[in-house]
Amino acid sequence: MAEKLVPVVCPWCSVGCRFYIVNVNGYPKKIEFDYDHETRNHGKLCPKGVAAFQYLRHPDRLKRPLKRVGERGEGKFVEISWEEAIKEIAGKLRELKEKYGPEALAFLGSERCSIEENYVLQKLARALGTNNVEYVCRMCQSTSVAGKGMVLGHPGLTNPFEDILKAKVIVLWGYNPAATNPVFFGQYIEKAILDNGAKLIVVDPRKTKTAKYADIHIQPYPGTDLAVALAMLNVIITEELYDKDFVAERTEGFEELAKTIKKYTPEWAEKVSGVPAELIRKAAITFATAGTAALLTNEGVNQHANGTRTVMAITEMMVLCGYFGKEGVMSGAIPGAHNGMGAGLMGVGPHELPGRFPLHAEEHKRRIEEAWGFKIPEKPGITYVEMIDAILEGKLKALYVMGTNPARALPNLKKAEEAFKNIEFLVVQDIFLTETAKYADIVLPAAAWFEKDGTAISFERRVQRSFKAADAPGEAKPDWEILVMLARELGLGEYFNYSDVDDVLREINRTIPFLTGATPERLKNKLSGCMIPCPDEETETPRLFVDGFLTPSGKAQLIPVEYKEPGEVPDEEYPFWLTNYRLVGHFHTGTMSHRSKSLSKRWPEEYIEINENDAKRLGIKDGDLVRVETRRGALVFKARVTPHIREGVVAAPWHWDFNYLTKDALDEYAKMPELKAAACRISKVEG
Amino acid sequence: MSKKIFIDFKRCIACKACEVACEMEHGEARIRVFEFPDLTSVAFNCRHCEKAPCMEACPVNALSKDEDGAVVLDPLKCIGCLMCGLACPFGIPKIDEYNKIMDKCDLCAHRRADGRMPACVSACPTEALKYGDINDVLWAREGKIVAELKDIGDRTNVLEAYIIR
Ligand code: SF4
Ligand code: SF4
Ligand code: SF4
Repeated sequence: MAEKLVPVVCPWCSVGCRFYIVNVNGYPKKIEFDYDHETRNHGKLCPKGVAAFQYLRHPDRLKRPLKRVGERGEGKFVEISWEEAIKEIAGKLRELKEKYGPEALAFLGSERCSIEENYVLQKLARALGTNNVEYVCRMCQSTSVAGKGMVLGHPGLTNPFEDILKAKVIVLWGYNPAATNPVFFGQYIEKAILDNGAKLIVVDPRKTKTAKYADIHIQPYPGTDLAVALAMLNVIITEELYDKDFVAERTEGFEELAKTIKKYTPEWAEKVSGVPAELIRKAAITFATAGTAALLTNEGVNQHANGTRTVMAITEMMVLCGYFGKEGVMSGAIPGAHNGMGAGLMGVGPHELPGRFPLHAEEHKRRIEEAWGFKIPEKPGITYVEMIDAILEGKLKALYVMGTNPARALPNLKKAEEAFKNIEFLVVQDIFLTETAKYADIVLPAAAWFEKDGTAISFERRVQRSFKAADAPGEAKPDWEILVMLARELGLGEYFNYSDVDDVLREINRTIPFLTGATPERLKNKLSGCMIPCPDEETETPRLFVDGFLTPSGKAQLIPVEYKEPGEVPDEEYPFWLTNYRLVGHFHTGTMSHRSKSLSKRWPEEYIEINENDAKRLGIKDGDLVRVETRRGALVFKARVTPHIREGVVAAPWHWDFNYLTKDALDEYAKMPELKAAACRISKVEG
Repeated sequence: MSKKIFIDFKRCIACKACEVACEMEHGEARIRVFEFPDLTSVAFNCRHCEKAPCMEACPVNALSKDEDGAVVLDPLKCIGCLMCGLACPFGIPKIDEYNKIMDKCDLCAHRRADGRMPACVSACPTEALKYGDINDVLWAREGKIVAELKDIGDRTNVLEAYIIR
């Protein structure tokens, strides 16, 4: 029995935890903890990390290419050979391109695949003549990317994890790391609070395991936290708590911001958000006078139709207090998946080139075209949620989905299902027959994360290599290999001349300047990787904005922000605010975690949290079944009656069917859908 | 001195990584996380008592202490009479329904044998679980309190200024 320990990067969240897979003759036996290396997790893991090999050998794994025989959505398929599958896909893509033009094709990349795979995918889309290439960042982080991009010029986490240990105040805004990033919470945030005395401010309608540690807990109605942020800015400016030198030297637009913010008093915000004005004032003063601060946000901020505005306002709080470029501070939004940041940097975006340069950045475009040997299409592509409308309007004919599950992740799922039923050609390449794959014409079996070599970028901006730790089942292949096969069949082989992932990474090193130093050799020799930007093999960048911001002028842009409501607010017919959250034991749409025995056993089903006073009024008891209805649909949940959610708000985990309830209203800057706030009514299910 | 797993419930976030880690190691979790309505949570496993009632109650001497002080069960001797489960003040030993003998935490004997830490402790992201000698753990805590007191002493002037104001 040949037992081998292979170092891998955790396949779930974006902390970048490392551990080993114990491999016995190609078979993954268990995981082992890694204490020796300078790992970010210090050997620690959350339940998902510990259970990370369970889904690998689940009997549902896709092992051979499939072709649909039943109705779309029915999930009836027959096995076909790789050769047939690739021929059929190439033929159909070619046919549709000729008939309707390249913009009738679209591609979805994945935060669960490596940077190499996402790079190859967007290159293939562009080689076929379309910029219709997207990934789920649109629905997790896009508002943060847009908001931070406008104010600071870069959306990334500003400082290394260790810096949070020195922060005097920590603000966790729409972010519950005790459930979403337990290792980051336990190894850094909790230590800062319990061992180093940092104050904690939490903004969340729910009292979470994170909020348990809060000195100040602000509980706004979902999506009205923009009002809280504006009021905090108001207090910081009117009470002159800001850093005057910093504002004078390193920012632009202060006067305008100060003028706009005048009307947004804490008393005004109390009316909008339901948070007592005094508490907002206290939070603003605590934050602004701390000396060093970490302010971390997540989907509670991002996933709203007013998300970009909220991100801008929150970021401007950090700017005004002069908290950038120092030790002991931290600012950032936390991507959901282990390669959420990496996929975006590869140019998997309809308006973006590899390196996240805008499509219209002529000089970069020319440079990349020269390297590739073909022209990048001029016309910007369409975004994730807009693709659904484009399918329903008959403009989008073919969708190629790699490692992601839009038929669970999109808002207003009924409408999305309609689109998947009516699209002309759908290909899904994944490790399981996901809800989306059930609609596909062709399903391709992919190798899972541990079954291939690949690189991921954690939310700390750390580039790390993960190694092949198990053999893929059946005929499943790594995503990049499948894409190269397809490119060759399409006659584009000369542009996709890779024999292994290292070839792809070397091309990435050449194409994306701030990744030039993240070479295969460096990443293989140093498991802790390097922090981008890493322009050469000796350099990395632990802290951003030390000398200047990454805006064209080098100064932070204090763009005035006006209040805007979230995408839907309660009224007489639908009087409750509905929001969602994540469970520590599940991940995204459950493709992998619902198939992990130890996880599904402990977190078996969804339930809805209802405040005890609301429950009493409606005659609902703990454990009762309740019907939750929005304008889009209705679901039945078990009620969990609790004091830990504010009155007027109900909340359910989103890993199951939640998105039948949400609305597809979009943020005007980032096209982020309104995933976290909806108006609903609830009633007890009798009987 | 024997080593044990200590639980700092102030740090526990009920993530159940400990349960899952134990389950991966032994097929069944021998540690359980209890959550309370006020959001506190406590992970709980065998205390490996100095005077272990389970050991005393066992009629066939299936339970014994190993060299590290862990109370371990010999499955070949156990007759599944459930006495240990009844005697344990914490209700720790459980019947393994399939084999009809008892199952309990052995402080991951096989991991200790090759110098690794118990699985639950290795995983725990918050270090709510600590494995060590009671004196070391106590000293670490005492050391911290002493250091804090000393620190406050050093800052007396600041404190006074603060109080007067
Ligand atoms: S099983 Fe119970 S009695 Fe026996 S050592 Fe453990 S805690 Fe003590
Ligand atoms: S020490 Fe080992 S056997 Fe005991 S609870 Fe922890 S993981 Fe389980
Ligand atoms: S792993 Fe640690 S933090 Fe998580 S439940 Fe167990 S003891 Fe608590």
